[in-house]
Amino acid sequence: MKRAGWYVIAGAAAGFAGVVGLHGSGQAAPVALGQQRPAAARGAASPAAPAPARTAGPAARAGGSGAVRRATGAVEQYGYGELSVTVTVHGSQITDVSVPLLRTAEPYSQQLAQQVIPMLKSEVLAVHSARINGVSGATYTSAAYAQSIQSALDKLRA
Amino acid sequence: MTTRPAPVTTHAEPVMGTVFSFTAVPGSVPPATVRAALATACRILHRCDTVFSTWDPASPVSRFRRGEAPPGAMPPEFAEVVRECQAAKAISGGWFDPWAMPGGFDPTGLVKGWAAERALAELRAAGLAGGLVNGGGDVAVFGSPPDGDRWRLGIQHPWRADALACVVEVDAAVATSGPYERGAHLIDPATGLPACRAASATVTGPSLALADALATALAVGGDEALAVLAGVAGYAGYLIRPDGTETDTGGIAFVH
Repeated sequence: MKRAGWYVIAGAAAGFAGVVGLHGSGQAAPVALGQQRPAAARGAASPAAPAPARTAGPAARAGGSGAVRRATGAVEQYGYGELSVTVTVHGSQITDVSVPLLRTAEPYSQQLAQQVIPMLKSEVLAVHSARINGVSGATYTSAAYAQSIQSALDKLRA
Repeated sequence: MTTRPAPVTTHAEPVMGTVFSFTAVPGSVPPATVRAALATACRILHRCDTVFSTWDPASPVSRFRRGEAPPGAMPPEFAEVVRECQAAKAISGGWFDPWAMPGGFDPTGLVKGWAAERALAELRAAGLAGGLVNGGGDVAVFGSPPDGDRWRLGIQHPWRADALACVVEVDAAVATSGPYERGAHLIDPATGLPACRAASATVTGPSLALADALATALAVGGDEALAVLAGVAGYAGYLIRPDGTETDTGGIAFVH
């Protein structure tokens, strides 16, 4: 397969904020929303867009007490490509998750180019109202941990 | 009424090819005791790594796979993991089968959760008010979190590194498996070939060892494995299919 190299995508988090969804109360709901939805509506990231870091908005609006703190993981390669994740907490509440840098490798970038990334109906993006104690996911390598949301949480709470 | 968050100790330990994150809620336990419990927990993880690493050709499990070590010559942990694997194979309807892996018996799909659970037991035994261990994405908890009534875990979004698919509340264990971090490491026991019928497969339940194995089974078996899981008392599954559609068995406490 042809290697398309790296795409730089960004602005993703801002677009995702509009799709914070609701999960049906534990009920099976095999409904496909994603593939029919136009890319603009789900705020899909555009390949080769510039890479702005998103910071202020949600944190400034959030309630709760305590200082606003941010931590960003280092940039390294892993399964998704290259990226770093920034998590912002206000007191003990996560107010923002953003990706200042994300370069994706195939086949993810191809999916992006073809705009066929499914959108989950329950998608939680910036996690504005959620407090979480950790993240469950497919096993990351030691190197990939550095870019994980869990890693950012660990830094903030250390 | 507002309560101040309890002081929390966190620790991240690189081991078993990933990183284990601990959150320790001390309650009335003094800091030195918390540190000692964390140190013991980490020793347990490194011990499990030494015994069960399939990457280290000199490990007991690698020698066993090559037929160089009879079961009787294996460390005591080995027999316990074999028993857990037998139970998980039966409960999963055969979708989890360490004996069908290329290269021989490979308990990797269960060992990380099993080890995490043993490590967390040290924090519980030390009398802490609450604790969490996240073994590279497989999570076990007990007691109370520092900031609420129940532990809340985000489930990693399978296609977006910065997103969560949902948030769930758990009282014991949650494990997630999928092809998005390490590629096609999931093997169909029926064929011995890489196979994956899920973008992401999450299982909650009382034991992380079994939840870890069942998440692997769910990732490999997709909807068929979910149907099996629906009949397993105490466990629940949440499946994101490769096309992005979602389904679950019921019984998972979704917050978002």
